[in-house]
This record gives sequence, structure tokens and C-alpha cells, in this order.
Amino acid sequence: MTHILREMWLLGRSRSAIWALLLLAVCASASVALGLASVARDRAVIDRMLAGQVAEEAALAAFVEDAGSGAYYGFQPTWDPPSDLAFAALGSRDIAPAVLRVRALALEGQIYENESSNPELALPGRFDLAFVAVYVAPLVLIALLHDLWSGEREAGRYHALAALPRARRRLWTSRVAVRLAGVLVALLLPFGIGALMAGTAPLRALGFAGLITLVCLLWTAIVLVVARLGVRSAVNAASLAAVWFALTLVAPAGVNLAINAGVPVPDGAALARENREYVHAGWDRPRDRTMRDFLKVYPQHEAGSAIPPTFHWKWYFAFQHLGDLHVAEQSQAYRDGIARRAEMGRIAGWVLPPAGLAQAMSAMAGTDVTAQLDYQMRIRAYHQRLREFYYDYLFSEKPFGPQELARVPRFDPAIGG
Amino acid sequence: MTHPVLSIDQLVVERGGRRIVDGLSLTLEAGEIYALLGGNGAGKSTTLFAILGFLERSGGTLTVGGQDPAGQLDAVRAQIAYLPENVALYDHLTARENVDYLLKVADCPRSRADVEAAFGSVGLAANAWDMRAGRFSKGMRQKTAIALAMLRDTPLLLLDEPTSGLDPAAAADFHKLLETLAARGVAVLMVTHDLLGAADTADRIGLIAGGRIASEWFAQPGEPRFDLNALHSGFARVR
Repeated sequence: MTHILREMWLLGRSRSAIWALLLLAVCASASVALGLASVARDRAVIDRMLAGQVAEEAALAAFVEDAGSGAYYGFQPTWDPPSDLAFAALGSRDIAPAVLRVRALALEGQIYENESSNPELALPGRFDLAFVAVYVAPLVLIALLHDLWSGEREAGRYHALAALPRARRRLWTSRVAVRLAGVLVALLLPFGIGALMAGTAPLRALGFAGLITLVCLLWTAIVLVVARLGVRSAVNAASLAAVWFALTLVAPAGVNLAINAGVPVPDGAALARENREYVHAGWDRPRDRTMRDFLKVYPQHEAGSAIPPTFHWKWYFAFQHLGDLHVAEQSQAYRDGIARRAEMGRIAGWVLPPAGLAQAMSAMAGTDVTAQLDYQMRIRAYHQRLREFYYDYLFSEKPFGPQELARVPRFDPAIGG
Repeated sequence: MTHPVLSIDQLVVERGGRRIVDGLSLTLEAGEIYALLGGNGAGKSTTLFAILGFLERSGGTLTVGGQDPAGQLDAVRAQIAYLPENVALYDHLTARENVDYLLKVADCPRSRADVEAAFGSVGLAANAWDMRAGRFSKGMRQKTAIALAMLRDTPLLLLDEPTSGLDPAAAADFHKLLETLAARGVAVLMVTHDLLGAADTADRIGLIAGGRIASEWFAQPGEPRFDLNALHSGFARVR
């Protein structure tokens, strides 16, 4: 303990080291504050949407006379509440929708029309704690440790220090431990405060703190290997900057490019357009063909499938449904492709530990692509329930009014349907 | 049984496949000052590094206070204070902070009064005690390091070219300090090019050549303590 206190004192006397740690602490605090604000914004959007839903349903009840108009005009809210760790790793939450109001119409277009709603947000990138831990903290560790031995050698103190008894344990180990601890405190203190404010479950908070610690330990090991092998501080610093650049920027970007090239994924916007076009073409398609194709999927509605020669909601919702079936394969290929890319990214994470740990943080926070796909699947499950609720009324021609409107299935963010 | 402070017998040290020290033998008793003279690459600093355990020996025996650095490195280092050619301190710390810090690293903290007494003994001016070491001259750094050695109270002091770069007055002060330490029972082994300085201070002078001590002189009572002509010609032969 004495040795740790002694090295803490020495670190405290180094102005540059203190500035580096303060800068890291400020970055970490800012990232946590921005993360908490982003999560609060998401929650406010969800709350506002749910509060508005009550008024909207009251308005709807005033004019809905049949199941068709209820299904057509009735938007139902779905939402993906941020997890208790989302503030620390925003992942794709800043570009993926956290809420989606759906109707019993064709779904695919509704899902993907949100996909590129805010692409400009993706330009500056996220500034969350995971970013600070993965990109900024290694630079501070490099600054603090790259000249651990070479700095003493260049200053002419190395041999005098190494000649002291038990210098390895008393000096170098304590010095590394104190500098690493300084970086961890700069990261984990703001995180701990953020976790308290977000009400994060203690075990999950510990798990996330463990990932941050792993990132720092990994970089400490890398820096120490280079610092041990290297002779001159400038060479060590340049080598480590190159390693940082390669491991955190170049290699992940290269792997990402390779994965994207190797796993082609249909364009989500094109999927939505195809869905819409097919649905619109439904107006001109022979009505009996539309109904026949629909009844292949829902033979139980055969008895009530007769439609008049004029407009009828049964026919309208049938060609909406067929619009989804028309792009079902493409939609599945899209999801499979995204999932496959995510899986390959995870595998690449074992070779590129910094990228792997960043992915693990997003996965733990429930903000990665997999979580985004899960939300889509929950929307699909809910939408299926919603449209089948209305089909039941439409094809059995049961009366539908405000009382039935109140029985419309509700979205459960945990399970979807 | 009392061991000599330093005992080296037929020491062999190789670096990069070359024998730098080749059969060097030397014994040093408490209170004795030994000057090891030799040309560049003669093996002087290599000998110091072998004593400190920075280099492994490939032959011979070496003990400090009866303990072998090969097996009891920390125990050996605990008995040694080492001053490299250029004493470097933490420039952003004061002399007092440097000494406090390094004493704590060596696990022998001393009181403020002890530190001040040591500074006083080595002749470091009081106004320098709380001055940042970055502003120190080489002589002031040497004094601070000697104060540290005194405070560590080790039986053996190893010095690598201690007077290089010091002006004659500072070098004379430094030699006086060594005599003070020797009078307190500290054994001093210094490697140096400074023949005159060695002749002023040392009890014995060894000329190292070919990795071993080629000739050795003992200080005589009275002045001059050494036959300077013999030293010069010996030194000229081995350089």
C-alpha cells in the first residue's frame, strides 16, 4: 500500500499526467452526461407518444364504425425502451428508431421507412462512454505508460532506480498499477454516477465496468510489451500510435468493408419501395386473384371472404397483406444478412479485441444491431397479432365500435405481441 | 564469520558473445575506497553492472556482504548505493522530495531532520533543499545522491565516473565526501578515468585491462600517497 501511495504522490506531481487524466475524466463525464440526456430524450419521446395515444384513441372512437376504418386509422404505438446501460453505450440507438407507430396495413414499408430517417446523426458518430473507453482511454494509457522504462533511461535514472532492492515490485508494478488505476477511476467514476442515476442493476453495472477494465488491461498489456521492447520513448510512442490506429480504426474499418462486401444485404429503402409499389398495384390487380392468394394464407376466413364489386376493407387489407408476402423473402434476406454481418463482426472481435469489446459493450447495453433486429421482430410479432385481430372482425363481419377498439392488442416492449 | 563487503574472484562477464570481464578478482573491506581505472571498454562499468545484478556472470564468484547477487539479488541490492555517471533526479521534484521518494522506493523512509542533516553533511546549501532538481548543477545532483546514499546507510557505495564533468573545486568537495563516508565504514568502489582524483582519495587503485586487474597500487602514508609517475605509465600502458 505504501508503494501505491508513493506512486500516487509521484503521479500527482506530474502536471502532464494529471492533465491527461483530467481530460479523460472530462471526456468520460461528458459522454455519460450526453448518454443520460440521449436516454432521457428517448424516454420522453416514448412517454409523449403513449400520452398522445389516449387522446388519439378517444378521437378514433368518435368516428370508427367498422373494423376496417379502425384498422386503417388506428395507429398503435411500439417502442424500444432504452436499457439501464444504454446511457453508457448508445450503439445504434441514435440512428435506429426507438418508437414506431404501426397500423394493420402492410408492415415492411412502415418498418423500413424509418430506417434512414436521420442519417445526418450518423456522420459525427456517437460520443458515449464506450467510445471514450475504446478510443480515448488507450491514448491516455499510451501517454502515461509508453515511456515507463525508456523515460527513466533517457533521463538517466533507470539504472539508479533498478539498482534499488525489489524495484520490480516496489517501483514498476506500483507505477503501472497507479497509472492504470488513474485511468480506470477517470472512466469508472463517471460511469458509476451515471449508473446510479440510470438505476442500473448492480450486476449489470459491474459487468459493464468489467468490460471497461478489460479494455484498459488489454491496452496496458500492449503498451507494456512495446515499452519493454522499445528503447526510445519517441519510438515507443510512434509505434503505439500506429498500433492504436491499426487496431481501433484501420483494421475494424477494413473488416467492416470486407464483411459488407462478403455479405450482401438488400437495401432496406428499396425493400420498402418494393412493398409500397406492390401494395399500390393491388388496386389494379384482379380482385378475385387477390382474395384467392390471401385465402391461401388464411383459409379459415374463406366463409366470410365474399366481397361486393365496390371497395371493401377485406379486399383492401388482403392486398396490403400480400404486399408483405411479396417482399417476405427479401425482408428475411435483409434480416439474415444483417444478423450474419453482426455475427461475423463478433467473430472478428476475437481477432480485434478492442472492436470485440466495443461490440460487447453495445450488446450488454442492448443497443447493438442484434437488439435493433430484436425490436423489429417484436414489432412484427405485434403487428401479426394486430392485423389478425382485425381480420377476425372483418371476415366474420362482427360489429366493431368503441368497445372493440378498446380491446385492440397492445404492444408489450418485452415480447412484442 | 565476517564477510568482506565485496568479494570478487575470477569474475567472467560476457556481453554479445564477447568476454568483457575476464578473471577479475577484487576484495573490498569496510571503510576502504577502491578506484578502478581503465580505458574505454576495459570492463569497469560492466563490473559494476555485474555487482548490481544487471548482468549475469558466466564464471567466477561474486558476493556482497557474503551474499551472491545470482541468488539473493534483492538482499545484495539492499546493501548497495549506486551513483551512475550522470546522477539524474526527478526534475519536477525538489531535492527533499527526490530523496524522500527514493528512500521510500528503497523502503527506508527517514525523518525530515535526518534528510536535512544529510543535506548538511554533503554540503548542499539550505536554499537548494526545496529547489526543483531541474535547476541543479551536476555537483548539486551528486551531493543529493550522496545524501541519499548516506541516508540509506548501505555498506557499499558504487560510483561510475563520479567526477566527470565536475569542476576541480566540486571534484575536490566530492572526494572529501567520499572520505567522510569511508570514515563511517562505507566501502567505496569507483570506476573512473580521473587518475589524479583517484590518487587523492583512494586507498587502492586497480588498473583494469583485458577484463582483469592488470596492476594494483596501495596508498602510502604521507604525501604523495601514490607514485604518480608509476600510475601514469601504468595507465598509459593499458589505455
